[in-house]
Amino acid sequence: MMRAGLRRGDGRRLVPRWLDPHGRHLGTWAFVANRLTGLGLVVYLYLHLVILSTLLRGPEAWDGLVELFRRPVFLAFDVLLIVGLAFHGFNGLRVALVGSGLLVDRRKGLLVAAGILVGLVTLVAAVRIVG
Amino acid sequence: MATRTEEDFTEATRWRRRPRPTFAWVAQVVSGVLLLVLLTAHMVAQHFVVDGGLRTYADVVAWIRNPVVFAVEALLLVCVTWHGIAGVHAVLLDLGLRGRAERIVARVLLDLAVATILYGLWLLYMLAFRG
Repeated sequence: MMRAGLRRGDGRRLVPRWLDPHGRHLGTWAFVANRLTGLGLVVYLYLHLVILSTLLRGPEAWDGLVELFRRPVFLAFDVLLIVGLAFHGFNGLRVALVGSGLLVDRRKGLLVAAGILVGLVTLVAAVRIVG
Repeated sequence: MATRTEEDFTEATRWRRRPRPTFAWVAQVVSGVLLLVLLTAHMVAQHFVVDGGLRTYADVVAWIRNPVVFAVEALLLVCVTWHGIAGVHAVLLDLGLRGRAERIVARVLLDLAVATILYGLWLLYMLAFRG
């Protein structure tokens, strides 16, 4: 019997397993989203290091950058960053627990709990950043 | 250094047949849990309790000169670099990277991680002791 998924005539996958949308559950989509947010956060890590390197150029350079980062577009980016961090953190904890065989029977509850925590953290952070 | 294989990709649905956890998987989970704590401390101390969300140059230097802060930021740097680079490697393995290409990429990623940590530590040192 042919297995489900995007496959060639000889049965080989057209795309890697975790990019194949066929027969996926919400938890698996969350796993894929965890990978994608992780890659985004790695890009941000290096961007962050580049920005922090401005400190080596002294007070004027850094304090000027701080003023720039207080503009609304950068504050919106900060909120987006918090969403990414919170999602990757809490959902990553869920993936680690389930992947380690812990709380497997409560995986749906874990997903809901992770979603609620991401929402709460985002709300608090948005109020703090924008407010 | 795969954290998950295609065999156990579907998380809980196949968890009973999962292979023994690899060192990379355990290290990724441990560094991830550490990051939840360290990043929360970093975000709260560096941004949320600071007026305007970002410290001025003088405040950054004074803050980093605190030995506890220096140690926490250095540990955060190591954890986040390991977690991020190992995560990129795991994603590439999931995408089918194998053989000689995988060994070359793994070496490049390891070198990148070492360079990132050394640069970050140097940056912290320059700010704390030369800033």
